[in-house]
Amino acid sequence: MTRSMLENATANETPPPTPDQQVTGHRRRTTRIGWVFSSPALVIVALVTIFPIAFSVVLSLANVTVTGNGFQLAGFTFSNYSEIFHASVWRYALVFTVFYTVVTVAVEVILGTLIGLVLERLTKGRGLMMALLLVPWSMITVISAELWQYIFDGTYGVMQAIFSAIGLGQPQFLGTPTSAIISMMVADIWKTTPFVAIIVVAGLVMLPQEVFEAAAVDGAGSWTTFWRVTLPLLRPTIALAILFRILQAFGIFDLPFVLTGGGPGTATTSLAVLSYRTMFQNLNYGAGNAIAVSASVLVLIGCLLFLKVFRAQVSDA
Amino acid sequence: MKFQTHTGLKKWVNLLNTSVVLIVLFVALPLYWLIASSFKTNVGIGASPPQYFPDPLSIANYQSAFVHYDFGIYFRNSLIVAIAATFLVLAIGSLAGYALARLPIRGKTAIMVILLMISLFPEIAVVSPLYLVMHNLGWIDSYQVLIIPYTAFNLPFAIWIMRNYFLGIPREMEESARVDGASPLRTYWSIILPQALPGIFTAGIFTFTACWTEFLMALTFDNSNSFRTIPVGIALFGSPNVIPYGTIFAASVVAVVPIGILVFVFRRFVVSGLTSGAVKG
Repeated sequence: MTRSMLENATANETPPPTPDQQVTGHRRRTTRIGWVFSSPALVIVALVTIFPIAFSVVLSLANVTVTGNGFQLAGFTFSNYSEIFHASVWRYALVFTVFYTVVTVAVEVILGTLIGLVLERLTKGRGLMMALLLVPWSMITVISAELWQYIFDGTYGVMQAIFSAIGLGQPQFLGTPTSAIISMMVADIWKTTPFVAIIVVAGLVMLPQEVFEAAAVDGAGSWTTFWRVTLPLLRPTIALAILFRILQAFGIFDLPFVLTGGGPGTATTSLAVLSYRTMFQNLNYGAGNAIAVSASVLVLIGCLLFLKVFRAQVSDA
Repeated sequence: MKFQTHTGLKKWVNLLNTSVVLIVLFVALPLYWLIASSFKTNVGIGASPPQYFPDPLSIANYQSAFVHYDFGIYFRNSLIVAIAATFLVLAIGSLAGYALARLPIRGKTAIMVILLMISLFPEIAVVSPLYLVMHNLGWIDSYQVLIIPYTAFNLPFAIWIMRNYFLGIPREMEESARVDGASPLRTYWSIILPQALPGIFTAGIFTFTACWTEFLMALTFDNSNSFRTIPVGIALFGSPNVIPYGTIFAASVVAVVPIGILVFVFRRFVVSGLTSGAVKG
């Protein structure tokens, strides 16, 4: 999947081979059918995603006043953006979201790759392990947030019992900013590392077996094989996993919303939580949309940069 | 004898087995805690030090979830929304995936790139404009207010998976079907679909899971209790000051069941459906 996904993104415009000339009529017909086949999907996606995204940009650039029944737009303005750029909560949320994304994605990709490598080597019980890994990944985030909230509870949480049993005192995991951020990362890593592991297993399964045989014939040890053969071949897969994870982590909402409520204070308030609060609790639609649009633009730039760098690396290999 | 057990032990305690045990513990311990706590009484939930095994075992939480709280309603709503959206995504998305894989359309690359970009967008960016639209349509507090957005947001990724799977299917059978005069729809239905089942199952599992777990739109668009889905329902159990963990965990265990069954039955497809497109890649 992974290789073709990355490469097909920009390459692969080749039309199917036309056996002979008399097909042009047939070709025109199949082109029309192609559009007929794909238009339901494209229309729905355009109506429900592209249109609201454009609308969101409009809202972020307008004077929005909330009225009794909805709200009114009055005039073009940059004030929403200047408002958020000057707000310390926005700057903190931005730094927090970037930091959180970088740390969790790094840990999850390293851990997930290791787990994927272990799973691929398993001769028996692999199916069972996959099924087990799929449970946290497919779990409702709200549920895992409640579970970790109970585990990290300051009075009857099991984590605190373990810490005090091994003489580490009685930390208030969700009570101080630093420990709340770490606790949230642990919950995220538990839930999402399996996703990376599954993608990595899928990538490993499709690697050409001959290369490994050749490496073995050449007398490469398992360490050398891993660094010189497996890892380079796995690069597109890992790139894809990183891309998906960056996107999900950057838009994170459910976990802080339920686990910490964005607190203590605003310590775990991500851009999405801040945007939600601004829109639906403070009813400041203009600023809320400006936050959402700024987050979207940043994550898009990040991903395009990442794709550019990674594609270059892939073609080097 | 002693020597033998020693080597036996050494053989068993190799790196691979150790890692497997660690992985299982890492994944399973929190799951154990979820299940065990769902069988604790209120006293057991609040016990300090914690009860490592529920004592006494109680199913009161399960009764409470369905009787005191409306978990039954939430469960039904989640099923309706997730099944409807998954069905729509697979029906519409597989046609589009086939067209984008095989039929000569201009601007395929542009379409695929735009689809990829859309699936990248943070959900928060569309929630408030969509809310306005849904509000004007009078759709707030309904099933379609979730089914339609879930369909749209899961289509891009599902089209990606299915298109890549279609690309891996050999062309010859389609060619001969065409020579025999079969229409593209007929070719798609009786030649492509049967061969693409693993890819379609994979797309289906990803879509169903995404719909089953979605929180932000469900929280924003459905405020009435009778349309709430499981994530929102569970998040709103209890009051801000008292969180009924026991009931939440009992409901959670029940909520894992449909996905658990789906994933267990189709676990082979989750990987094979993802890999097969690569044959052509």
